[in-house]
Amino acid sequence: MKTLDIIRRAGRSLRNAKTRTILTSLAIAVGAFTIAISLAAGEGARQYANKLIGSNVNPQVLFVVKDQALFQAGVGQTGLTVYSEDNGTTPRGITIQQLTQADIDKFTARTDVQNVTPVYNPQLKYVTFEGSDKKFSGEVTSYDTTIINNATFGTLPKLGTQLGLDEVVLPTTFADTLVEQKVITQPQALIGKNVSMTISAATVQPTVDEITAAFTTGGQVAVVALTKPKTKVITLKIVALTKQSATALTGTNAFQISSEQARIIAEYTTKGTSAYQKYPGVTMLAKPGIDPAAVKADLKAQGYAPQTAKDLQSLIFTIVNTLQGIVLGFGVIALIASVFGIVNTQYISVLERTREIGLMKALGMRGRHVSRLFQFEAAWIGFLGGTIGAIIAVIVGTLLNPVITKALDLGDGTSLLIFQPIPIILMIAGLMLIAMLAGYFPALKASKLDPIEALRTE
Amino acid sequence: MIELIGVTKTYGKKQSTFKALDNINFTIPDGASVAIVGKSGSGKSTLMHVMSGLDRPEQGQVVIDGVDILKLKVKAVDMFRSKKIGFIFQAFFVQANETTYENVALPLEIANVSAGERRRRVIEALRTVELTDKVKEKARNLSGGQKQRLAIARAIVNSPRILFADEPTGNLDTQTGETIESLLFGLNKNGGSTLVIVTHDEELAAKCDMKIYIKDGQVDRVVGGEG
Ligand SMILES: Nc1ncnc2c1ncn2[C@@H]1O[C@H](COP(=O)(O)OP(=O)(O)OP(=O)(O)O)[C@@H](O)[C@H]1O
Ligand SMILES: [Mg+2]
Repeated sequence: MKTLDIIRRAGRSLRNAKTRTILTSLAIAVGAFTIAISLAAGEGARQYANKLIGSNVNPQVLFVVKDQALFQAGVGQTGLTVYSEDNGTTPRGITIQQLTQADIDKFTARTDVQNVTPVYNPQLKYVTFEGSDKKFSGEVTSYDTTIINNATFGTLPKLGTQLGLDEVVLPTTFADTLVEQKVITQPQALIGKNVSMTISAATVQPTVDEITAAFTTGGQVAVVALTKPKTKVITLKIVALTKQSATALTGTNAFQISSEQARIIAEYTTKGTSAYQKYPGVTMLAKPGIDPAAVKADLKAQGYAPQTAKDLQSLIFTIVNTLQGIVLGFGVIALIASVFGIVNTQYISVLERTREIGLMKALGMRGRHVSRLFQFEAAWIGFLGGTIGAIIAVIVGTLLNPVITKALDLGDGTSLLIFQPIPIILMIAGLMLIAMLAGYFPALKASKLDPIEALRTE
Repeated sequence: MIELIGVTKTYGKKQSTFKALDNINFTIPDGASVAIVGKSGSGKSTLMHVMSGLDRPEQGQVVIDGVDILKLKVKAVDMFRSKKIGFIFQAFFVQANETTYENVALPLEIANVSAGERRRRVIEALRTVELTDKVKEKARNLSGGQKQRLAIARAIVNSPRILFADEPTGNLDTQTGETIESLLFGLNKNGGSTLVIVTHDEELAAKCDMKIYIKDGQVDRVVGGEG
């Protein structure tokens, strides 16, 4: 018997048992729906992450640290590590090895990278704003030239261009606080105004000679001045207020200054301490045409812990994949339940159609073909269930997408549920296969029926 | 030629065994019309099943065209039935929820006949039994006689060498019964196929070239033919 004829016959039998067929397929459809949604959500999340990284991170960027521990998420304590003068402490209290100026010089000397920028850790004592003597405290970071920033007011430098030495960018939230504190009346008033940052040098224990020298020249007052921390005021002009964009990866909630200014502040505040010219990390760009992965491999060989934009992407993908796997798991559980439905339905079908099977076998139909007929019926059920589930998933997804985008504030034009034809087709094909496997034992039973016995049943 | 040699078929196991066929011997020449006659329960249907390779007796040989079909592999027996045998079962066994066309096409599908050829032969078979106007009708909507004719169409559509008919007129009124009889004998005379009719109707048996009388699973007597 021709396979096509068997398939057609299988379809016809199902049509003759419509209610049963539809109910069994609906069970599969539940699993198919869940799987389709999880596939779509995974794809959507990956595309979203890609968009996020693509619009935020220069693909050529590398972030290099000395210590791999910084990249290991979830590390709370590092355990016992060898003390080194170069050790620093991250805000979380983890002891990490820091990069030294010698490391930075080595990176700068490389021919395959450019824009080598260490991560400075500038600390402010307090800041005041032009036209007010209210003191504020806040953090300061160097302006990241590799990510796209959006200005609410003022103008930002082009992507890849650093701020001027005497320029500063504030997050819009700072302006809101200043309005609240009545320093200014409206946020845009800040543009063009000056910020005075007071920084203080580290207290250094003066030597006996220094104390003696101070006493002889300036008396008691000079000695007090010597032990009192030195401070310095840096005045910068506000050029822009930044807004957190929908696709921004990290929100900066600090004053953003040029990396040169950050270096000046960091060096001033750490001079004479062990933190002087020590950096937790450094960013650099692989030169155009140079594969950042190659740079990474080379730096790794030299004992550094480099990360590329791709690594960041794969980290996010790992998270997305895990979440997707969980949803997929529910779909699979639903499927397992529906498999028993198929087995049950097919057994009943075999019993009901004993005479039909007997007739076909009496007319010379091969047992193999009888078995195939029932397996194809199961496959049809799988196809139907998969298709129904996928269609419902697409409809629901299409309706839900704008709602989700709005609720999660993903930004216009972003969809979290992205349906792709190939995974859906593969899913349906997979379901047909599973259904066929489920139909195996009922089909075997059908193929083993003795035609005489089968024809005898009334 | 169909030759049965020492065929014995036993039902049941161990203590409660029952010999449905007991040492059956006879020969049916090609193109003959044969009636297997006997009371209910005498073993007529069982004999027909054994002759067509549907049922396997424990002893004996069923030689058709020089080949003992009991020695063939399952696949070869299936093939033999599909190519050479036509069946009209005691209870028509038409597929109620399939159309007339689909019912008749089944043996051809099984025999791997191409769709075009199938169509031609189905229409021809339906014309022979005068059911052309019911091609698309579901079999369940046919009358008893029409179902019987449908079963005949399905049995002859393959142009079988041997046609087995188990009580083909059993449930029919005289007139329809006669139509069917003349149909079957027509096929036998014109088509040259061997016709084996199982019946307890003496009148029908009288129209056959050869009569094999069965009693309690044994051949009581054979009338006519060479046997
Ligand atoms: N599977 C079986 N198990 C036990 N006994 C069986 C089986 N099949 C048939 N028989 C017995 O074999 C005998 C012959 O049965 P068969 O169906 O051949 O009778 P028949 O001559 O065709 O009768 P009828 O004219 O009523 O159709 C009967 O006594 C029947 O009970
Ligand atoms: Mg009978």
